Amino acid sequence: MCKDYVYDKDIEQIAKEEQGEALKLQASTSTEVSQQQCSVPGLGEKYPTWETTKPELELLGHNPRRRRIASSFTIGLRGLINLGNTCFMNCIVQALTHTPILRDFFLSDRHRCEMPSPELCLVCEMSSLFRELYSGNPSPHVPYKLLHLVWIHARHLAGYRQQDAHEFLIAALDVLHRHCKGDDVGKVASNPNHCNCIIDQIFTGGLQSDVTCQACHGVSTTIDPCWDISLDLPGSCTSFWPMSPGRESSVNGESHIPGITTLTDCLRRFTRPEHLGSSAKIKCGSCQSYQESTKQLTMKKLPVVACFHFKRFEHSAKQRRKITTYISFPLELDMTPFMASSKETRMNGQLQLPTNSGNNENKYSLFAVVNHQGTLESGHYTSFIRHHRDQWFKCDDAVITKASIKDVLDSEGYLLFYHKQVLEHESEKTKAKPR
Amino acid sequence: MKMEEMSLSGLDNSKLEAIAQEIYADLVEDSCLGFCFEVHRAVKCGYFFLDDTDPDSMKDFEIVDQPGLDIFGQVFNQWKSKECVCPNCSRSIAASRFAPHLEKCLGMGRNSSRIANRRIANSNNMNKSESDQEDNDDINDNDWSYGSEKKGELSNSDPFKYSNSTGISYETLGPEELRSLLTTQCGVISEHTKKMCTRSLRCPQHTDEQRRTVRIYLLGPSAVLPEVESSLDNDSFDMTDSQALISRLQWDGSSDLSPSDSGSSKTSTNSSESRKTKKKKSHLSLVGTASGLGSNKKKKPKPPAPPTPSIYDDIN
Repeated sequence: MCKDYVYDKDIEQIAKEEQGEALKLQASTSTEVSQQQCSVPGLGEKYPTWETTKPELELLGHNPRRRRIASSFTIGLRGLINLGNTCFMNCIVQALTHTPILRDFFLSDRHRCEMPSPELCLVCEMSSLFRELYSGNPSPHVPYKLLHLVWIHARHLAGYRQQDAHEFLIAALDVLHRHCKGDDVGKVASNPNHCNCIIDQIFTGGLQSDVTCQACHGVSTTIDPCWDISLDLPGSCTSFWPMSPGRESSVNGESHIPGITTLTDCLRRFTRPEHLGSSAKIKCGSCQSYQESTKQLTMKKLPVVACFHFKRFEHSAKQRRKITTYISFPLELDMTPFMASSKETRMNGQLQLPTNSGNNENKYSLFAVVNHQGTLESGHYTSFIRHHRDQWFKCDDAVITKASIKDVLDSEGYLLFYHKQVLEHESEKTKAKPR
Repeated sequence: MKMEEMSLSGLDNSKLEAIAQEIYADLVEDSCLGFCFEVHRAVKCGYFFLDDTDPDSMKDFEIVDQPGLDIFGQVFNQWKSKECVCPNCSRSIAASRFAPHLEKCLGMGRNSSRIANRRIANSNNMNKSESDQEDNDDINDNDWSYGSEKKGELSNSDPFKYSNSTGISYETLGPEELRSLLTTQCGVISEHTKKMCTRSLRCPQHTDEQRRTVRIYLLGPSAVLPEVESSLDNDSFDMTDSQALISRLQWDGSSDLSPSDSGSSKTSTNSSESRKTKKKKSHLSLVGTASGLGSNKKKKPKPPAPPTPSIYDDIN
């Protein structure tokens, strides 16, 4: 007897079945029984590792060439042809196809089409797009089908002209969200709070709006779903930049040079309490009269992917122009100070600094930047995307080149995409770091 | 390790040391063992080396980082010749021109409707097409159909194919105009487009009942549905009125055939009869475009000389 350990298929099968039974038993006795079985903590092979079967082994043996997403490999990178002023679309496609959690969803073929006609399904087209972009094919892809589908489903975007990348992003997310549920026409008044599609799971955050009556100090709170955060910039006609006395020098690792506005500054301004003024009195529920009030926006629920939009294009009554002020943004962002839970410390005008980095729940990493060069009338969109940890690439339609982190951080910035560093499952508190 | 009750204080340093070492060794062993089992299993089941990248792949997919080249080692700007197939019209289009093509193809651009209408006007001026089977309303509503442009081309080659027609908006017409119009045309108002049908009084799309109703609605209770023949009577026509009328028409080759007349199986005997009635219509339509009256923005009035109607006289 060689005393080696042996692995027997049949015995393992029996073991697996028994484990499954044990799991179910524990579920029925647990007080936290929910609809899904997978909510049971503790024992269990709920998420078993994948192992090859015999026929798979043979197949893999016969085909020794491997393609993997790894540093210094081009797999996952591919140019996109400009179909005629469609650089705005190409940039958003690059950002979406390099969103780690979205990539994992589509590359593991998790989409099941429920549309009445699958050739019109935008999610299916996204799936196909992922396959194309991760194929390793060096020749740029022609996204003509995507353009056609977007024009059919988002009529307001149809037409040959340069468009706003942010507008396209929101419209694309909306169509994807509808098609995930098989909704072709937008008839279903879907409530994002209850939707479970991949788009909502990833992009939907909750923006809390608190209106405080100045008379009775009663607070009325509403929470709205949001896919992005649009930030005003200094120099815009709606701008209001309070210079609070004790400004911390570097909150998020941004280099704070006096005079340079940072993303954190913009977020602070976004979440500050704002006096609505005597011309905008609201009806207070408890006072039963119109009173002056203050309004404050904070994040109630953070999305997995946070998209920040700098409002660089101004279409006011006075003028139409592009604000080209450089805004410094960090590679890593902590959203804790802008959460609803941090409001108490904001009251005094102080920004709560995360003292210890033990709490990683609200930390984000930058993974895509969309930039606009040029004027309001004519310009060009390019993007930077992060591929495999710390490698950045510049995507200029059909041309992909390597870029340095400095190139990325020095760019003007129009749309910024941040990905949560630590993902939590709804019920199971297993933490997995996305790669 | 034995689980004994021991008083630690009573032991000397070396013993404590030994115990600590033992605990440490156990912990290390336990953590290593799990890993060892994993590797052992992988080797035994044959998938340990499975996902290693082969050297060929490593060479093929390596990122290039040189000035003037993209990450695949390709030169910039060499993609001019990329093509794609339009999902709407199935034609092969250069990729960089796809967006403007698709805009026109789907009929969505600013110029699309102008171009389409002009094409329709041109094609219908030159042929004597018979009644079209198509529903007026559908053509107006169907934004995505490439059909409206296509049919313009087709009718040039085959006069018996259906032609396009659009309706008239009755709100812009005065009572006199309406009366004259309703003596020659069907006039039933489409629910979709709120326009009047420009086909003949015997148009297959609508019933006589509908025609009577619309006349009563537009002209008052005394309105009467005229007989088809009387429409041929030149005397009953008021030329100036009809000119004004027709200038507002976007299309002018209205059919005056009943369903039995149309179709590719049409024999020449039938057509010759209908040609007579058609001649008058065409005559009016040509004159109509000449007058250029009215607020017809879409059509560029091209005044053909008055002798033009004689072309049709020749045919008959």
